[in-house]
Amino acid sequence: MSFELTDEQLITRDAVRQFADSTVAPIAAEIDRDHRAPLENLPAMAELGLLGMTVPEELGGSGSGTVSYVIAVEELARRCASHAVIVEAHSSLCCWPIVAFGNPEQHQAYLPDLAGGAKIGAFCLTEPGAGTDAASLTSSARRDGDQWVLNGQKVFITNGGFADVFVVFARTDPEAPSAKGISAFIVDRQTAGLTVGDPERKLGIRGSSTTPVSFSDLRLPATSLLGREGQGFAIAMRTLDGGRTGIAAQALGIAQGAYETAVAYAKERIQFGRPIANLQAIQWMIADMATDLEAGRLLCYQAADLEERHLDFAIQASMAKLFCAPMSVRVASSAIQVLGGVGYTESYPVERAYRDAKITEIYEGTNEVQRLVISKSQLR
Amino acid sequence: MTIAVAYKWAPEAQEASVDAAGRVDFSRAKDKISDYDAVAIQVGRRLADATGQALVGVTVSGPQAGQPVATKAALARGLDSVLVLAEEGLDRIGPSATASLLAGLVRQLDDVSLVLAGDSSTDVGARMTATLLAGRLGWACLTDVEQLDWSGSDWSITRTQTWGVETFKVTGPAVLALSPTAAAVKAPGMKDILAAGKKPVRPVALTDLGLERPDQGETRATARLTGPSRQGVVIDVSDPDAAAAVLVAALRQSGLLVEGSQE
Repeated sequence: MSFELTDEQLITRDAVRQFADSTVAPIAAEIDRDHRAPLENLPAMAELGLLGMTVPEELGGSGSGTVSYVIAVEELARRCASHAVIVEAHSSLCCWPIVAFGNPEQHQAYLPDLAGGAKIGAFCLTEPGAGTDAASLTSSARRDGDQWVLNGQKVFITNGGFADVFVVFARTDPEAPSAKGISAFIVDRQTAGLTVGDPERKLGIRGSSTTPVSFSDLRLPATSLLGREGQGFAIAMRTLDGGRTGIAAQALGIAQGAYETAVAYAKERIQFGRPIANLQAIQWMIADMATDLEAGRLLCYQAADLEERHLDFAIQASMAKLFCAPMSVRVASSAIQVLGGVGYTESYPVERAYRDAKITEIYEGTNEVQRLVISKSQLR
Repeated sequence: MTIAVAYKWAPEAQEASVDAAGRVDFSRAKDKISDYDAVAIQVGRRLADATGQALVGVTVSGPQAGQPVATKAALARGLDSVLVLAEEGLDRIGPSATASLLAGLVRQLDDVSLVLAGDSSTDVGARMTATLLAGRLGWACLTDVEQLDWSGSDWSITRTQTWGVETFKVTGPAVLALSPTAAAVKAPGMKDILAAGKKPVRPVALTDLGLERPDQGETRATARLTGPSRQGVVIDVSDPDAAAAVLVAALRQSGLLVEGSQE
């Protein structure tokens, strides 16, 4: 048993950390304040290869492996959770299902551009009436000759404001039991009938674009079907399994950034004539935060390692997300507590971390859904 | 033709700590490619691509510099291959001995047109190695190089000194130490990181170079500079004129401002 990262994983950590420190951190507070996506950083993220990590080398990606990928997401989130979720939604939720379920023509048509950053991806599953109960979605795709006609409304679509390619889930067989009648499609943004609504104003991850996307008699060629007809729900669930490791990494990175700020502050802040790091109350908080981070990292990397080795990882991914998401909220909250009054202001990034962390308990499966998945596996 | 880059696998300066006596402690600092040398590699990659030359890294240090993570980190930044002299104790030798060993490595390469190096290192910061290396090789040397291009017949070099901007033309082989401002260093890309493991690494032993182990051991100690300490004077700046008067008075009282000096 080895807990050591490979050389490549260590170098990936250093490289993404360098990028996050030099390019992401300087605009993180500003994009949060202005609720705007960091579009100016997408070319540099593409050049670094951050948008092609889940795509094999022969299709234009780097094929870096899942562990390197979660390390990259973690390092981005350490400085800015919004940058991390842009990469996560693009890579885990759009590129990955096309890699795994697309045919060779779809691979060639989409993956080189997605991996190189010429196009950005998004994932359209959630609907106003179908959140956690995704199988109850009502968006429909009806056959019309050699085309599909898509209608419906999706909400909370990450990257919606600027994505070029959407993986969309719609009901193709209204007669089939709820999960069985769903299919997946690859939809280009410029297709007539696709409308992107106004971005949501959110508590956190304000630098990510979260929009509604609607389809009105949108016509797709038969070649747009991803996987088999009726396989859509399985594709969505399998995609979210991998996505959960990515969100666990995002939560981990948010917590790590907040923790580092707290430690640095505790060493410098003088009260009662000495650094507050000398006070046991602070020391215990730091110890709990460090332990939380270590446990979360082990769970997250374990899930990633299992996926990379093509072993069953779904339960470990749920466990990683279930642990890391509330851990991130807890650590960010403790970081604010260490900083005291200034931690509650925008002078330090810990208040942003606290707001950003909350979403990791909700999207790509709430804490409650993770418990459902885990308990089901334990009680069968 | 080959462009060589002398690089150092050195402790990360930002992870060093300073104890109460002012001693700099690198023991908990993680090793990495020195930030200064990352500039040299990036400039070297651009020049090698422009002139069709190979870009080869050369390094001298302790065994840690020969570990795969160290050589891959260097190769991921754009080197085509590396020559590594990594033996026990060589991380503690001084700049003069380092330059001698680097010269031995450079002589192992065919047809070297340039040796590039960072202007300094993140740990020792002696700013001597490039100059000493040029002396060992008998080549021209320039430090503080800010811009470097191939004109087709010579190397065109620019650097800024306190008195103005200097430009040079160099035709023969030379050792050039690059200013940190010569390039904005980019992080290695994901594909470069994976490709690094497939590039050649050539370990070289002292015996291969026909050189003796240098006995030029070096013991370094640092101590805090003595000088004025913080007085803890806090000036209320709500009234700028009054604040200026308080500042001047405080400076006079501390002896930093004396009568007759310009205020």
